[in-house]
Amino acid sequence: MNESCRFESEVLRAAEEDRWTESLRRHLTECDDCVAAAAAAPWMTRFARTSEREHVLPDPSIVWLKAQLLRGTADVARVSRPMNIVQLIAYFVVGSGWAGVLTWKWAALEAWLRSFTPTGLVATAARASSLSVSFVAIVFLLASMTVMLALHTILAED
Amino acid sequence: MDEARFEAFYRRTARGLWSYLYRLTGDEAAADDLLQKAFFRFLRANPTLASEEHMRRWVFRTATNLAFDHFRETKRERARIEDRVHEAAAVEPRDVLRHDMMRTFEELKPRERALLWLAHVEEADHEDIGEALGVKTKSVKVLLFRARKRLGELLTKKGLAP
Repeated sequence: MNESCRFESEVLRAAEEDRWTESLRRHLTECDDCVAAAAAAPWMTRFARTSEREHVLPDPSIVWLKAQLLRGTADVARVSRPMNIVQLIAYFVVGSGWAGVLTWKWAALEAWLRSFTPTGLVATAARASSLSVSFVAIVFLLASMTVMLALHTILAED
Repeated sequence: MDEARFEAFYRRTARGLWSYLYRLTGDEAAADDLLQKAFFRFLRANPTLASEEHMRRWVFRTATNLAFDHFRETKRERARIEDRVHEAAAVEPRDVLRHDMMRTFEELKPRERALLWLAHVEEADHEDIGEALGVKTKSVKVLLFRARKRLGELLTKKGLAP
């Protein structure tokens, strides 16, 4: 039932060439599939024969070359995927580091920033230091990582 | 696959595939683009298929999928067809027949166009058509019947029926 009618190819040929035999005409009276096929066939044949204005197809050597280039691009994307993941993790670590440090030492930082006044500078100089060495070291480390990450991002994009 | 073999296969397949894609999309640039994409995919997948007929079927199936993706992505098909109706006045007289036929064909749904082209021009059997369109072989008979009926109705409406 799911196969095409066994007369279909004959019906199609007859419809395209307009050469009907008596048996095919008789068959059309009892097969809806073939009636529909016969109605569509001549038009489809004419339609397929209408020219496409001598359309020039892409040259096969160009298609071949482009395919090789695309394959290269796909390979680069595949190879650089782990690097991109590491880069994303680095962004997250550095961002979290800065957020953590600012939260941890916000009060001290606020005081330190307020000290940038003539009187504050004198007072700070007298106290010698207001921020711990470990804090300065962490800030230095985070700043270095941020700069390295920014440079890596810029160079990788280039 | 080496370049020489690909070139031979391309030269035998591309013209028919382009005609199919052009009739499916009604757009030469889109047909060019989809043709190249289908062959890019073919080369990337490098399918180890026994015969050229299998390779041809593979490329047609891929091109059909790409064309349907194209319809989904653009979603401008209806608008484009309507635009073309307005463009009719600008068509050169020698192209009127082809243009009218294209417009008639474009009134069908993309799947109906694919079904009719594959069945009537590519002379593909139901199994191949089902494979190309991603439908069950047993559904092809019904879908093809409906597509033919619909084309018949359109031709009758336009006074082009045999």
